[in-house]
Amino acid sequence: MAEMWISMGPQHPMTHGLWTLKVKVDGETIVDADPELGYLHRSVEKMGERRKYFMNTTLTDRLCYASSTTWTHSYVLAVEELMEVEVPTRAQYIRTIMLELQRLASHLMWAGAYMPDLGHITGALYFWRDRELFLNLLELPSGSRLLYNYMRIGGVKRDLPDGFEQKTERILKLFEQRLDEYADLFENSKIFRMRTEDVGKFTGTQAMNMGITGPNLRGCGVKHDLRVEDTYEIYDEVDWDVCTREAGPGYSDCFSRYMVRIDEMKESVRIIRDCFKKMPQGPTMSSRVPVRASGEAFRRTEDPRGEALMYLVGDGSDRPYRWKIKSPMFTTISACPHYLKGYKLADIPAIMGSIDICIGETDK
Amino acid sequence: MTLFGLCKTMAELTADMFIVPVLRFQRNLFPPFSYPAGDLADWFASEGGIVTLAWIYAVNIAFAVGMTNLILVIHLERKIAARIQDRRGPMLSLRAFRELGEDLAGEAPTWRFKGNYSGIGIIQNMADGIKAITKELIIPNKADKFLFSMGPIIFISSSVFLLVLFPLSDRFAASAAPAGLMVIMAAFSIAPIGVLTSGWASNNKYSMIGGMRSAAQLMSYEIPLLLSMAGVFLLAGSYNPVDIVEQQRESTWLFGLPMWNFIPQFIGFIVFMICILAEVERVPFDLPEAEAELVEGWTTEYSGIRYMLFLAAEYIRGFAGAAVATILFLGGWAGPWPVPPEIWFLLKVYLIIIFWIFIRWTVPRIRTDQILELGWKKLLPLSLINILIVIFMVEIYPYFDDIVSLPEVF
Repeated sequence: MAEMWISMGPQHPMTHGLWTLKVKVDGETIVDADPELGYLHRSVEKMGERRKYFMNTTLTDRLCYASSTTWTHSYVLAVEELMEVEVPTRAQYIRTIMLELQRLASHLMWAGAYMPDLGHITGALYFWRDRELFLNLLELPSGSRLLYNYMRIGGVKRDLPDGFEQKTERILKLFEQRLDEYADLFENSKIFRMRTEDVGKFTGTQAMNMGITGPNLRGCGVKHDLRVEDTYEIYDEVDWDVCTREAGPGYSDCFSRYMVRIDEMKESVRIIRDCFKKMPQGPTMSSRVPVRASGEAFRRTEDPRGEALMYLVGDGSDRPYRWKIKSPMFTTISACPHYLKGYKLADIPAIMGSIDICIGETDK
Repeated sequence: MTLFGLCKTMAELTADMFIVPVLRFQRNLFPPFSYPAGDLADWFASEGGIVTLAWIYAVNIAFAVGMTNLILVIHLERKIAARIQDRRGPMLSLRAFRELGEDLAGEAPTWRFKGNYSGIGIIQNMADGIKAITKELIIPNKADKFLFSMGPIIFISSSVFLLVLFPLSDRFAASAAPAGLMVIMAAFSIAPIGVLTSGWASNNKYSMIGGMRSAAQLMSYEIPLLLSMAGVFLLAGSYNPVDIVEQQRESTWLFGLPMWNFIPQFIGFIVFMICILAEVERVPFDLPEAEAELVEGWTTEYSGIRYMLFLAAEYIRGFAGAAVATILFLGGWAGPWPVPPEIWFLLKVYLIIIFWIFIRWTVPRIRTDQILELGWKKLLPLSLINILIVIFMVEIYPYFDDIVSLPEVF
């Protein structure tokens, strides 16, 4: 067969959203790739510049359907820095719990979406069944299943409901059992490892040059986690470790990226348990939250997919003068020609699935 | 009485009572123009006409049995897959339709859930069939229209052809060709031509890659498949399914236990089971229609009843593949208890199919280069080793029979 361009997308099972990957194949081998983004652009930044600060939390929720709370939290942190608002300690603990629950739900969403990419439909149903447990938990304090609008400037919307800790503990226990069960189905499975090992390799240096962050970078063995490096909320007080994996000396493949996310889920369970242990009583909302702000603020947080950066400029009015969002997935997808070349056509879903795509945040 | 004997009796009866009198009546009705009818009447009264009619009956009965099993196989796949995935699967019952009709006849139709989805859901197959028939048959504008229609015909007819080739028992057989299994494997190998034709004619890059993958897959599994079957042929000394099963029925092991071919030829059995899985294109070897990267592979552009018949033909091939595995390695219709041999045969076939369903829903799909590597580097040497063992058993063992006293095997 001669070389030809195949346009995968914008409607394709591999894309997990709306984007086009043009690949040039020689038979089944990928020679070149060209990602095209922008099908889901909703101009979130510009819309936010026309709204008041506290209104924007609904917009940031819609940045990513899989992890909405982490994006709202990132925005709220930036606004709080701009307005110099002190957040009560209990609110910080609640935020941490919510962030980690959201991280679990997001990673489970990813794992469930990754399995059909490899031709394993049952995996999707298993992981999404567990994701539903965490969505139920997130629904209890916030009142909605997917778009929570729970983080507010200066605190959280309301305190945790009664019995939340016991319910969470029950679900976490069940979830830990199930993760052990799934080990036999996935990471100990020969065919799963045949599909994921030595596929989509990039080294830690390459990843840093290409702007790949988050679990994809930690899959190369680079110990970089913004929850530690540029700590926020109470991540420096609870007891947890940054998990890293590597496929070989300093590089990652699909399997190490899979494993680092499974490890992160286990760490999230640890963080949630420790937060409940150390959580004090007190108010959940700051007593003084201004409406207007001036100056500039810049915060970065550890999204389930990598570094979420928020930059805000206030001109003294009640609306942001300029708002900039930096999405981790935008750089990661843009770098995909570097780690797609040389692999087979069947590896495209395995590789692009393993970097955990979310097009909502990518196109903003 | 064998199936063919039964069919011959039926053919004689129908020829005597219906066909010959009608044709003779026509000849008498219009004497100047009725010579063909008269010739036909004479032919149906002769031995050749009776035998031909009997063959048509036998083939149709075998076809009907196969198609009935097809519904059951699809239903089993759905239900077992659902149970594996912590779901319930199709549950639509006839009662649901009745209650819906009662609702629609009343003043205000209510479509709410009423707990009437309590059936086993076998009616879901009918619903799918009706849906497929009523859908539009789309032919893409720039497709090669002749080949686009020929692809399904080649694929489906070669798959349906398989149904009449294997016997359900020594008496229930539509065909008893001396080279029966060779014909079956030849019929199995026609289908990739249909896949390649459909993939090429669709004028779609995904379809074409799917068709090419089918050809590449054929390269990798066909040789170890036939080589692993060669051991069985050597042992039985025949290609005839009836002879092969008789040989397995007669050979015993320690304590008089039956020695079906999967015991002496365990390596061949494993190789055969892997290769036949690739032959019938089920997960983990369903590369031509890998839905993650190739949308639907070579069936992407097909719609309506064509697409549904593709799916049905794949299940027919699955059923035929399990039947071949049963004949070759699991003793065919032989069994310890006095149950009708057809029941034994179907029981073993369904065991294999259930095993395949479990595989399908627990493993991911493998890659094209990996299946080539598996076929050529691992399965081919293993099947050759199997042939070596069988040759030792058949040819060399008798010379040492008086020195080494092994239990009587053959």
